Amino acid sequence: MTANRWLRTAAFMLAISALTAMPANPQANPAAPPHSPHPKATPESVAAGKEVFAGTCAGCHGVDGSGSNGPNIRGVGAQMGPEGVYTRIRGGPIGSGMPAFTALDDATVWKIVDYVMTLGHEDAGVATGDPQKGKAIYESSKCAACHAIGAEGGDLGPDLTHIGVERSIVSLADTLNDPGHNLPLDTGLQERSAYTGYVVYRVVMKNGKAFEGMRVNEDSFTIQLRDAEGRLHSVQKFDVEKVEPEPGKSFMPSYKDKLTPAQINDLVAYLSSLGEA
Amino acid sequence: MRAAKYFLCGAALAGLVLGARLESAAQDVTYDQILHSASHAEDWLTYGGNYASQRFSELQQINKTNVNQLKLRWVYQLRRTGIFESSPIVVDGIMYVTEPPTTVTALDVRTGRPVWRWSADLPKNLLTIGLFPTNRGVAILGDTVYVATIDAHLVALDARTGAVRWNVEIGDNAKAVAITQAPLAIKGKIIVGMGGGEGGLRGYIDAYDAKDGKRLWRLYTIPTTGEPGVDTWEGDSYKYGGATTWNTGAYDPELNTLYWGTGNPAPDWNGDARKGDNLYSCSLLAIDADTGKMKWYFQFSPHETHDWDASEPPILFDATIDGKKRKIVAQADRNAFYYVLDRVTGQFIAGKAYAKETWANGLDEKGRPVENPNIDPTTKGNLIYPSITGSVNWTSPSYSPLTGLFYVDTREQGAYYYKGHPTIDPANPNDIGGGGGQKLVNGDAAYTAVRALEATTGDRKWEFKMVGDSWTGTLATAGGLVFCADSQGNFFALDADNGKPLWNIQLGNSVRANPITYAVDGKQYVVGEAGNAVSVFSLP
Repeated sequence: MTANRWLRTAAFMLAISALTAMPANPQANPAAPPHSPHPKATPESVAAGKEVFAGTCAGCHGVDGSGSNGPNIRGVGAQMGPEGVYTRIRGGPIGSGMPAFTALDDATVWKIVDYVMTLGHEDAGVATGDPQKGKAIYESSKCAACHAIGAEGGDLGPDLTHIGVERSIVSLADTLNDPGHNLPLDTGLQERSAYTGYVVYRVVMKNGKAFEGMRVNEDSFTIQLRDAEGRLHSVQKFDVEKVEPEPGKSFMPSYKDKLTPAQINDLVAYLSSLGEA
Repeated sequence: MRAAKYFLCGAALAGLVLGARLESAAQDVTYDQILHSASHAEDWLTYGGNYASQRFSELQQINKTNVNQLKLRWVYQLRRTGIFESSPIVVDGIMYVTEPPTTVTALDVRTGRPVWRWSADLPKNLLTIGLFPTNRGVAILGDTVYVATIDAHLVALDARTGAVRWNVEIGDNAKAVAITQAPLAIKGKIIVGMGGGEGGLRGYIDAYDAKDGKRLWRLYTIPTTGEPGVDTWEGDSYKYGGATTWNTGAYDPELNTLYWGTGNPAPDWNGDARKGDNLYSCSLLAIDADTGKMKWYFQFSPHETHDWDASEPPILFDATIDGKKRKIVAQADRNAFYYVLDRVTGQFIAGKAYAKETWANGLDEKGRPVENPNIDPTTKGNLIYPSITGSVNWTSPSYSPLTGLFYVDTREQGAYYYKGHPTIDPANPNDIGGGGGQKLVNGDAAYTAVRALEATTGDRKWEFKMVGDSWTGTLATAGGLVFCADSQGNFFALDADNGKPLWNIQLGNSVRANPITYAVDGKQYVVGEAGNAVSVFSLP
């Protein structure tokens, strides 16, 4: 009965909301039954968990946890912690379509947990700067005009609350120097990830007018974009001549010439400290 | 003449139709009515709209010239939220819609107000292996509504009150049998299949006496020891090989034959322990409706390893091919090929890919795929088109006898298929390994589209591209329209001749249910379901 099975974009969205809204969601899974304490994670337990994950979880969550017909769960370990992940596997978020994996033994579930906890971490680079100085640079550079950390800041750019978990040191430094160079493009059929929405698109209307913006939404009949000042443009596709992505472009300025390499290192160190479990 | 049939006479005819309906007992559907559903176009009497499963309506009050004037009439918000995929039945002013996981709600079609509601009493340890707990609709016969529950019961309800008349177990949910499909009511019998194949099951389809729920026959979809075809399974893999029957099929009353698709063999992505063609998985079965005996089978994907169930609803129609009148059953399969078969004999007439595929170099003269080498999943991942979602999935296509076109919401996408452990442990149904995994290939090359295929050849006549996914299916009408929707919430109408968009409305959530149409008080309505709501539209 596989139709239902791995493949549901909408289900998928429900599952995402169930995941992200877990503490307040009345449909969230019940508390896990009494269980053994979490053994210390080891490379072996992670490897074993990865193997079980590939067979049992990858059908919905993708072999690397980035989502398939179920939600992207990269980074959920940082948000939920090992106990939270364990509870989710045991209980299954009610109404999401994820089953409760009651038949797996505790040791196996903890191995899956160990593997899930590694998802979202990219082992690329070591922060060498001073995070305290970096925090001051973040403030003096007015990054918060466009970015939020927790409840503070703007929303024109990506939320940075968990950026230290989601992006590697190398990736953070690259983005500060050349913001548009590694923006992921549209993910096609599936809902866009948190970052694909920051690609700049150029829209040319049939009446000759043109503008640039980041896609807030696009469906079969309409497209909504937000320009560099945050203004919303909503157009019907039958009025549009063409919509084209502009790879490499970003509304975020490059800080390559605005900050020294040492300041960039400090800022990266601060950003990489965000979202740690 | 067709145009005059229902609506050109306006209110006078509408009054006649309504008057005639009031003379019969309300919510009392005879087999003869379903048989001649085209003459009862004001109702929507079966899951697929008629026994041929065409999802074509003779109604034409809403047509190309006025569809852009459609207005919202009412909205019903589900009381039970979840994955909403129900295709309603409409009879005599009452709409029977199912809410997830198994609730039947009767609505007044004039207002959307609920008349009664019945919910299955489900076990706390409900098992839904490889499927989401939802329900796709009911069947109706006489004054009884039939629903199959997620925990694998068939329940008969009084159409007027929702009172339970009988309730029979048709599968053991503790062993992962679960049902999401709408049953099919034929003369005196209720036909229903089952799902849960990833739990290590042997698929079957049943017929029950409509009066009392007594089981009349059961056809297993996998042969057992001593039966022909069991040698297409290695060792004892036939005992838990899946091949479930989880979507509603079609029925030819003249041939007294049911046409029902079967699901994938299990485990899904690793066929090492089930070498052979794995009959009758991924097949279309022609079944004698009286005896449950298989008349013929046609296997679309032998020894399937990509989870391409053949559960897509088949459509029956008659056509002249090469000067000869043929009774056709056509299926746009999840494996990316469109098939035209003789529904009397199962003979392959024509077939071709209707979406991108990289696993076969066409079909041979008997319709068997000419498989490319190295198409199975691997431990490192093997990129194959189509994806696990298939070129189409459970949603229903439609067929218009006016255009001769087959309308299917199509997905263009590949996937990396990964190989895992090869066996299923029936004692541990939660271990749903499926023998591996997969990862969808996204990106700008992936898209969905409504495609119109020449029904006798599969040649593409037009397509309408959509942004995002589509889990809606299509509805064709005599008004020259095709209705569909996308995952972004657009419910829309296309010109059935050329695919030009004529109307759309944003419903605010993903649409995951086949649209239907009906008429009451001389007015035609179309039904779109987005999120957890039923939305109904008509002309002003």
